Amino acid sequence: MLLAGGQGSRLGVLTSKVAKPAVSFGGKYRIIDFVLSNCANSGISTVGVLTQYRPYLLHEYLGTGEAWNLDERDGGVAILPPFATQTGASWYAGTADAITQNLGYLESQDAEYVLILSGDQLYRMDYEDMLATHKANNADLTVAVMPVPWEDAPRFGIMNCADDGRIEEFVEKPAEPKSNLASMGIYIFNADLLINTLKEDDKDPDSTHDFGGDIIPKLLAAGKRLYTYQFKAYWRDVGTVASFHEANMELLGAEPAFDLFAQDAPIMSNSSTRPPAFIGPKGSVDDSLVDNGCTILGQVEHSVISDNVFVGKNAVVKDSILFPGARIEEGAVVINAIMAERSVVKAGAHFGSADEETVTLGDDAVVEKGE
Amino acid sequence: MPKAIGLVTCNYTTASKDDVFSGRPVASMPYLGRFRLVDFALSNMVNAGIRNVGMIMPNNYRSLVDHVGSGKDWDLDRKNGGLFIMPGTAFGTSRTGARFLIRDLVQNREFFIKNNEKYVVLSTANFICNVDIKALIAEHEASGANITVLTKRASCDGNIDVVTFEVEDGRVKSMNQGVKFDQIAFLDYAVIERELLLELLDSFAAVDHLDLFEALNSEYDRFRVVAADFAGYMKPIFDKPSYFKANIDLLDPEVLSELTDARPIKTKAHDNPPAKYEPGAKVSNSLVASGDRIYGSVQGSVLGRNVIIEAGASVRNSVLMQGVIVKSGAKIENAIIDKANVVPAGTELRGTDGDILYLKKN
Repeated sequence: MLLAGGQGSRLGVLTSKVAKPAVSFGGKYRIIDFVLSNCANSGISTVGVLTQYRPYLLHEYLGTGEAWNLDERDGGVAILPPFATQTGASWYAGTADAITQNLGYLESQDAEYVLILSGDQLYRMDYEDMLATHKANNADLTVAVMPVPWEDAPRFGIMNCADDGRIEEFVEKPAEPKSNLASMGIYIFNADLLINTLKEDDKDPDSTHDFGGDIIPKLLAAGKRLYTYQFKAYWRDVGTVASFHEANMELLGAEPAFDLFAQDAPIMSNSSTRPPAFIGPKGSVDDSLVDNGCTILGQVEHSVISDNVFVGKNAVVKDSILFPGARIEEGAVVINAIMAERSVVKAGAHFGSADEETVTLGDDAVVEKGE
Repeated sequence: MPKAIGLVTCNYTTASKDDVFSGRPVASMPYLGRFRLVDFALSNMVNAGIRNVGMIMPNNYRSLVDHVGSGKDWDLDRKNGGLFIMPGTAFGTSRTGARFLIRDLVQNREFFIKNNEKYVVLSTANFICNVDIKALIAEHEASGANITVLTKRASCDGNIDVVTFEVEDGRVKSMNQGVKFDQIAFLDYAVIERELLLELLDSFAAVDHLDLFEALNSEYDRFRVVAADFAGYMKPIFDKPSYFKANIDLLDPEVLSELTDARPIKTKAHDNPPAKYEPGAKVSNSLVASGDRIYGSVQGSVLGRNVIIEAGASVRNSVLMQGVIVKSGAKIENAIIDKANVVPAGTELRGTDGDILYLKKN
């Protein structure tokens, strides 16, 4: 069950028209590609995607799930937006509530285990390995955790565990953390337990219907077997403009923190079939990613350029992220910026600077010269 | 909406002995970094709303079937209609110059019978062009012709494989093999009424070793075959020089845009990351496909998918197909490097403008 309904409000204009999981990333992907590819690469063939905030682009992009080999006759991708019943209709009120409202779907799948995922995180994980750990521990619930720097621990949901990984205590944003193992919001539940717990939680008037805030504490109190699965590789929750910018930049360089070219677990995407990028006679590209369909007549340095981007003559793009269809006209200068889909910086205009915080331009927005 | 079915013949060889074409049908020749030649014929058909396309296959069809699959990348995975993979005759494979060999059409008569659309659009896979087939069908209907053929006046002497028509007042009088300057070249696209095609197949059954337009040589008075001029960029690909030129031509953004923007050219989707340019990479006047990693220098070239240019390596005026690795310090100039070749460190591979070097498929 993939939670993809979040707005990602801290991304500002980047999510003004699309849900965070549908935000362009890494030159040819959308954020949700990473989790869907993990599912495909882990042999999971049934994925319910829970959507709510601005879902058009997300729904269109997911399609039949074919791009991630999830177009299966039995199972495959099911898109699960909020819906009405005979007793009325309501929005998803929390992570757990979103699943509760779709218990009908969950029960119809007759699964033994349920993996709960977020559609807005960047990482490569073999969920099969996590499931093996879950089974080996004879666990009721396994929570993926990763060590974070001790000074950052007060910002996370922290798991205090025994040596064998069994969770003894869960503390949301502790002032004085006893552990630095942060929950990644990735859970494997025994299906029956999940279904029963959600049904009970639904009746609890004091619950906020959140996995971290309500479900986990209740299961701990009930003495259930909760274990951690330690993950030590690259993981990012690109919640802010700064972290989104940084995560894109981490794809660059000779030894990138996240290697898109790793062969063993390819990141799949619903990609276009545009011709190769054209680098003009006076164009130059250095330390960057450039996708198909681009025309680069100016200078691109240390940037991530999605498909169908146009960079005009004598234009300069540096330390920036350009979403599909962005257009930088002749002589324009774009530095330390994120330009969303089809946004334009007009000829001779300047957008962003190296000395200030990363600037963002929303979908279809235009920067005129002199602005 | 679609009132036509399409037929793409992919089973004919070229007269050229260039080994660029050895080992694979022309239709599955990699082109422009990420495409195969057959993509143009298939895309032109589906861009006109045709959802029912037959492909007549050569005997070495592995690479072609691998590429087109169920046809889903061209929206040809249909409940009704869709992509039909059809056998060619053994004779067709060995006969150069043929386009629409009657034997091949007769063998697949069923395809023309069981579909009810009014027209059949015929095509081969040898011509690079972005054609508005909807407009061609409209032109065919407006002129009341029996057959409409897409043509272009040759701007120079050309290949023996190209078919030409003698045309008077827009009407075809005869067909010939080979093209000279100023002749009217056939671009291998034609519109014909399905019923008429079936009639012709019956009446030409005795001469089924001929090409359809060759068999018509005695009948051009009886049937009104009209030449429709194509104004856009096109390139016949029948030998090494034309293949090379058709790639390098695309370094002109206007040509590239004309060929790929007017109507989308669809191809098999791959999960490659965007091309990655490492610090110090020098790339100019080139087409760079996704999945490439560039540390060295590239100039005036077309790179296929998943190509690696190591540091200190240089590539000039060349076409590199997918998966080629150019090791550090290697130099490539005026060359076509076929799929998955590894050019060892320090090697120099140089052709000349007039004689492009070709390194065959590894």
